[in-house]
Amino acid sequence: MAVKHFAKTSNKRKQPFEDDAPPAPSLHVENLEMLSDEENDEDAASDDGHVDEFPEIDTRSDSDEEEDEDDSDDEEEEGENEAEDGSESDNSSLHVFPKAKTIVSDITGQPKRVYPEIEPDYDSDSSTEDAPNRVGNVPMHWYDDLPHVGYNIDGKKVLRPARGDELDKFLQTVEDPSSWTSAFDKTSQMDKPLTTEELDIIQRLYAGEVPDASYDPYEPMTEWFTGKGKEEIMPLSAAPEPKRRWVPSKWEKQKVMKIVRAIRQGRIIGSKPKTTSKFPVYSIWSEPSSSHPPPLPAPKPRLPTNSESYNPPEEYLPTEEERKEWEAQDVEDRERDYLPQKYSALRLVPAYDRFIKERFSRQLDLYLAPRIQRVKLNIDPSTLIPKLPSPSSLKPFPNYKSLTFTQPKGRARCISVSPDGAWVISGDEGGRVSLWEVNVGREVKSWDFGSKIGALEWCPRADVSYFVVTIEEAIHFLIPPNVPSSVFSLTEALLAPASLPPAPTTPSPVKWVSPPSSARSIDTPILTATLPPSSGLPTQVTWHRRGDYLATVSTGGTQGGVWIHQITRRHSQAPFKKVKGAVQMVLFHPLKPHFFVATQQYVRLYNLSEQKLLKTLTPGIKWISSMDVHPSGDHLIVGGYDRKLCWFDLELSDKPYKIMRYHTRAIRSLHFHPSYPLFASSSDDGAIQIFHARVYNDLMTDPLIVPLKILRGHEIRDGLGVLQVKWCSRQPWLVSGGADGTIAVCQNHSFDLWVNNSSDAYAILIHGEMIIFDPDIRGCTRKRSRSQKKTIMPSSPVQKQHGCIRETPGFNVNRKEGIAGTRSEPASLSVSSVAGSLKIVDVPVRSGLRVIHGKYNAGNFDVPITQRAGTPVDPPLN
Amino acid sequence: MGRLRQKGKAGAAKAYVTRSAAIKKLQCSLADFRRLCILKGIFPREPRNRKKANKGSSAPTSFYYAKDIAYLAHEPVLKKLREHKAFAKKLSRALGRGEWSSAKTLEDNKPVYRLDHIIKERYPTFIDAVRDIDDALCMVFLFASLPSNSRLPPELIENCARLSSEWQLYVMHSRSLRKSFLSIKGVYYQAEVMDQTVTWLVPYQFTQNIPADVDVRVMLTFLELYQTLLGFVFFKLYTDAGLVYPPPLDIKKDEGGAGVGAFSLQDASDRTSGPPPTKAKAVEIDGRKISGKDVRQTIKSINATAETTGIDVEMSEPNSNSEEVDEEFVAHPSKSDPQSSASLPTLKSLTDLPLSLSTSLFSPYTFYLSRETSRPIFEFLVRSFGGRIGWPASSGSGSPIEESDDSITHVIIDRPLVERTNETPEERERRLRRKYVQPQWVVDCINAGRILLEDAYAQAKTLPPHLSPFGEHQGAYDPAVGLTGEIAPAPAIEEDEESESEEQDIEIDNVEDDVERADKAALKAAAVAEDPAALWAAELAAEAAGVDFGTFEKEVTKSRKASKMTTRDTVEEAEKDMNKMMMSNKQKKLYEKMKYSERKRESERATLEAKKQAIQKQKKQEAKSKG
Repeated sequence: MAVKHFAKTSNKRKQPFEDDAPPAPSLHVENLEMLSDEENDEDAASDDGHVDEFPEIDTRSDSDEEEDEDDSDDEEEEGENEAEDGSESDNSSLHVFPKAKTIVSDITGQPKRVYPEIEPDYDSDSSTEDAPNRVGNVPMHWYDDLPHVGYNIDGKKVLRPARGDELDKFLQTVEDPSSWTSAFDKTSQMDKPLTTEELDIIQRLYAGEVPDASYDPYEPMTEWFTGKGKEEIMPLSAAPEPKRRWVPSKWEKQKVMKIVRAIRQGRIIGSKPKTTSKFPVYSIWSEPSSSHPPPLPAPKPRLPTNSESYNPPEEYLPTEEERKEWEAQDVEDRERDYLPQKYSALRLVPAYDRFIKERFSRQLDLYLAPRIQRVKLNIDPSTLIPKLPSPSSLKPFPNYKSLTFTQPKGRARCISVSPDGAWVISGDEGGRVSLWEVNVGREVKSWDFGSKIGALEWCPRADVSYFVVTIEEAIHFLIPPNVPSSVFSLTEALLAPASLPPAPTTPSPVKWVSPPSSARSIDTPILTATLPPSSGLPTQVTWHRRGDYLATVSTGGTQGGVWIHQITRRHSQAPFKKVKGAVQMVLFHPLKPHFFVATQQYVRLYNLSEQKLLKTLTPGIKWISSMDVHPSGDHLIVGGYDRKLCWFDLELSDKPYKIMRYHTRAIRSLHFHPSYPLFASSSDDGAIQIFHARVYNDLMTDPLIVPLKILRGHEIRDGLGVLQVKWCSRQPWLVSGGADGTIAVCQNHSFDLWVNNSSDAYAILIHGEMIIFDPDIRGCTRKRSRSQKKTIMPSSPVQKQHGCIRETPGFNVNRKEGIAGTRSEPASLSVSSVAGSLKIVDVPVRSGLRVIHGKYNAGNFDVPITQRAGTPVDPPLN
Repeated sequence: MGRLRQKGKAGAAKAYVTRSAAIKKLQCSLADFRRLCILKGIFPREPRNRKKANKGSSAPTSFYYAKDIAYLAHEPVLKKLREHKAFAKKLSRALGRGEWSSAKTLEDNKPVYRLDHIIKERYPTFIDAVRDIDDALCMVFLFASLPSNSRLPPELIENCARLSSEWQLYVMHSRSLRKSFLSIKGVYYQAEVMDQTVTWLVPYQFTQNIPADVDVRVMLTFLELYQTLLGFVFFKLYTDAGLVYPPPLDIKKDEGGAGVGAFSLQDASDRTSGPPPTKAKAVEIDGRKISGKDVRQTIKSINATAETTGIDVEMSEPNSNSEEVDEEFVAHPSKSDPQSSASLPTLKSLTDLPLSLSTSLFSPYTFYLSRETSRPIFEFLVRSFGGRIGWPASSGSGSPIEESDDSITHVIIDRPLVERTNETPEERERRLRRKYVQPQWVVDCINAGRILLEDAYAQAKTLPPHLSPFGEHQGAYDPAVGLTGEIAPAPAIEEDEESESEEQDIEIDNVEDDVERADKAALKAAAVAEDPAALWAAELAAEAAGVDFGTFEKEVTKSRKASKMTTRDTVEEAEKDMNKMMMSNKQKKLYEKMKYSERKRESERATLEAKKQAIQKQKKQEAKSKG
């Protein structure tokens, strides 16, 4: 207690100078860690002591509590002192923690320190309340998943008290009378009854009073310095009052007199009368204006239309759907900013709720919107379409599908027309190669190779007749059947000569093999060139115009897959060591020793004799699919998978002269007609586009390109349409192979077929010439007319077509333009025309037409007019 | 070799500045910049290449011409705005310190900018100004009808009301109103002033509230400019017409709600005889008019010097034209009307002739407004076409005509018909003498340029549709054509036939109906049949249905002809389509754009026509079912 007393006295002594200064540390060296609340408590107590000295303060309300506090303080201080005593008695050094024992652990066998257990009632600050949980102020949800809720002072886990379910809680509230005065304690995780003090606070808060019962808000004011008897009587300074306090200022007078004089002289006028902010208007335009041109006037707003009337015609009123659509739209997207409405009288028209908003948006337009002066185009849109010659003036071109040949084994990938234009070979993905006649479509011979045909091509030589087919890294040479013996022997001598040419000096990886003459047959190739293994299927074969060289492009392999083969020497060579990009196609120049190579994006032109690159053409196509060179050799067309077609004038530029995009899908194939000014492109959209393409010899005239005809009829299978198109060399006919396995021949003739209803006579009109077939007169008569075909009316026995059909209902002729159609069932009639000759195939037996001439044999019926064969109806144009 | 060109030193990079750069250069706030742009009429420009104008950045900004901004830098208004900024700082400091007297002095010497030079700059000639007052009039009329509040001081509203009344007075005086249109948005008026058409929109008389998403500051800035502009324009118009500007306001009448009537027009010569001749010299444009007026005024003053000064100019001058004629033919002082005196056709009489008819359209008539009709609208309309008009006291004071006046020929009434029970014979007689028309009649008469028959517009009748006098775009649907039935469009006739035949079908009994349907179907099949077999089949079907061969043949030939036409068309179309391949990309896009708008207009027209036909059919059916 001596220490305490000393502290108290020291506090008292220090009070006037520093109120809350901590006691001098020298006094409390021993209990450093105890420098806690107790000291403040002491201060408070000492303050209380001071307050007590003032007689005005009524401390009765506080007295008992103070005493309680004092009591508790005393107790604590006693404990403190005891602790101090203990510590002092233990040792004089600053030893805070209890001594540790060193024992040998029975788990590890190592010595370890063990501290004695802390006794809570001894040396502890809050001994009165045994709060076992020392977890501190941490969120309790950290312990949500754990069995304990914290640690006690010994570091032992405090287990979570058992908490019943909701029913238990409810029962507890019913059974326990004190449950309604208990609250959940977070640290102990259980309900604790509230103390009376706490309940008192709650009650006070509920009543809206000050929670602290000891606080008196209406304490009387303590007058420290003012009030009766505390007035200061003595002055602070004894100096006498200066003169300026009572003498008027001279300088002020001078200044005022200056103003007064100014006012008298009228230099200063009293505050101006309050003018309105308006300025007078005057004739502003009477003076000449500056020479600056005036700014452009803002565009005037749109004038109102009929639909804005308060009483519009009824047709302007929106229907229910239109109204809903208008309301569903965003305000910015609306075409009109109002809905037409109809009012029966003017007095019923309400205020327009968007009036101010519209004026505001107009002003925003005026000062925020950029203005551009636009030239209003007042032209007829049809004048934008270029004027081109009419297709009818550019005949001949194929305009209808005359026959269809079906490849049974899948997509007709490749076709080729013989140099004389009479035969077609076609190959499909099933490995079948068919040879058939262009005119009739009858298959003459077929070969089965068993795997996908890559490419096939006739040899362009006229004196020999053979074609090449590529399958699986092999190039087969085949001779068609029914070849005249002279041609056959020449071909055989060329492909399988008795004495083989000398082997090349540098050994080539390509093997040329022809079977011995004994094993030869019409079904097997007479010569086979095998490319090196893993070079892939040659997808393209192209001939040099002389027919001695042959270039192939394979899908895989090195050297870009390009090989050039020479037939007579049986020699193959790869012209490129390395090619940038994948080679898509190659072509021989028709006149010069040049070689076109199309990679994915570029077309390169090489000079084969000088072995150098001449040009690189950039079509701007992402992926080139096909190209063809004009027979003159000066123009090139390139088609791409990105639907573009580029026309290059090789003498003009490396850039395309014209880029066209008209197909809706990828372009698959292009071909120039060898003699007519035509070219065709086919695409995956199933269409074939025929163009008239005339080039001129003089350099000044641009080539004339006129679209002529779109031929459709191929089905689209798996996204593939027409895979290849080829022209017949001497006729404006087009052969096209589609992904649906059909090959169509499109020709340029048009028919009109007239059938008699009384006798079995026909009249057929071809290009202004009428030919009448009559079984009764056993022959045919011809009438020539220069006039249009529609005006010709045959002589009396021949009637209009539909009239005839009434008589012979089984006969069905599809009379679309240019197509003499077929009747498929039960018998069929098909009529086709070949360069002035007429053929009727499969004349039906049942319909009474069977005995037209009695020359019906082998399904092929030649009318006597075939003797006129050889004179083409349309002479070639160049 | 030329000098190396640096990027961003020439071209679009120099010609354009972004908005933020402009603000930085002018050293003013964004609000001040906006205010300047509004007052000076500077608007953003769209550079041809945004990237080039913005130093390679494609961020969304607005661009201004660098020269516009350079001119702005010397703008006196900008200087005043800067002064105002300093003033605002001083004032707030004074207020913060509680120095009330200095604050008051500051407030008294507040910097105020004037807009005269801007008006002169933006509109170098008077014609330019008149051409551009559309928006100004709309705004002034709108603000004249707004309630004042803390943001809209009452002086502003008052000034707007004054300006709108002055404009109406001028239009009425000069008889320059041409067209009017009652729309759902308000009333559109179109006047012809100085050969410029001026169109303005006046809201209906309801209290408008400024919506929250409208920036009032912007509107007030515009209004500031418009008020100044209109003040100068009106001054010029009034002085050119020999009138005093501003017209004196009768405050008592104004408080009684007289509106336009509270102002009185005063001849300028009565007050000051000096200025008008000098003005006439100054103004070349309509010097003729002024000189004529002056001559007349001098004659008048010679004749009756004892006349009262400050006489009001009579608003409705039915014989003003004859007076003008008098001026021209001084040697021929008879009071003949212009038509007869036009034996000597001068350019003036010829140009005036068609106008004189329409501008004095209502001059023989006297109108009385029923109390539910809007007085400002119809007073303006009637008086600007020479009519006299009166109204009950509930519509405002200052009515020149009492209801019991015998000269009243028309009563504009807009209420349903009710049976009158307690009616004195005097009232009844008066009612029978007058014509009761609905308000639309007045506007339709003005737009038609002649007096229409009143029967269609009689009280409580269903009104004919009210059409816009401003017309629609070229080739749009014209409801008037269908209404009068003069030239019905070709497709409409066909459709009519079809509808007729369909109606016949409806009339036919049910038993017959099926047969008829079948036979129609057969005929239709024949028309469709392209190939002979189908045709034959169709013929058989027709026979079975009982159609005789003659009609069948006819049908077939008709359909053939049609199909032939279509095939030829299709061939041509196909050729055109193919030729489109050879168009360049740019042309193709332009073509598609034009075609798109063409198709859109067509479809709009088609929907309106279809709706009209449906409505007509329905009406016919209703009439049938009734009768």
